[in-house]
Amino acid sequence: MSDSIWKLVDRSEAAIDPALALTFVSDPAFGGLCLFVGKVRESNLGKPVLGISYDVFAPLALNGFGQLVQQASAEFGPRIRVYLAHAHGRLAVGDVAVVVAVGTPHRDAAFKACRQIIEAVKHQSPIWKQEHYLDGDSEWSEGCSLCDTHTHDDAPH
Amino acid sequence: MKVQVQLFGAFRDYAPAALVELELTEGACVADLRAAMNAYGTAHWPAFRPGLLQRSAFASETAVLREDDPLPTGGTLVILPPVAGG
Repeated sequence: MSDSIWKLVDRSEAAIDPALALTFVSDPAFGGLCLFVGKVRESNLGKPVLGISYDVFAPLALNGFGQLVQQASAEFGPRIRVYLAHAHGRLAVGDVAVVVAVGTPHRDAAFKACRQIIEAVKHQSPIWKQEHYLDGDSEWSEGCSLCDTHTHDDAPH
Repeated sequence: MKVQVQLFGAFRDYAPAALVELELTEGACVADLRAAMNAYGTAHWPAFRPGLLQRSAFASETAVLREDDPLPTGGTLVILPPVAGG
């Protein structure tokens, strides 16, 4: 686990740098590196977007990030390195919202671990996004319920 | 007993302080908290949507709680509307 990083990044203090993530998961023993970068789109459901504010319950989010990395390491390791960072605060169009990078000896494990982690971050982490539209409106995105009475995603994202 | 619940996501629109205090009986569980939150929202928040509460979970700093879990004593309690990271 010492070979992995997970963190929240306050956009008012720093931007997430995907190049740093790739460097972190690089190793002479690793022939496969997989990088996912999630960025703020310029539109949502046909409405022009100015930016997104991310709200995060940090203690639970970081606890969950650690568990996701631990699960991926158990499943695809032991030779694996993971970098996971998610933004917090107000982002503009084009800003990086989330980065997942995985390094493993071969590509299959890197692809699978990266996909597994980003899907779990989107569907399970206590993170909410409020989209700010060009017309002045702001809306919280529909998301995935974490209730035990709602066990699967019913929103298109 | 008094229980404070921290609000996130769409619930922030209901209460700018992002915190509500509810009165619950000793030994209350998460389902009781949900009922108390529904009563509070109905009474205090004109734009309150009960459907949003139904799709929301409650959590501590370390775990999402299930309906029949007893409320943890001390520490932070939060309401988690449907999540949308990434």
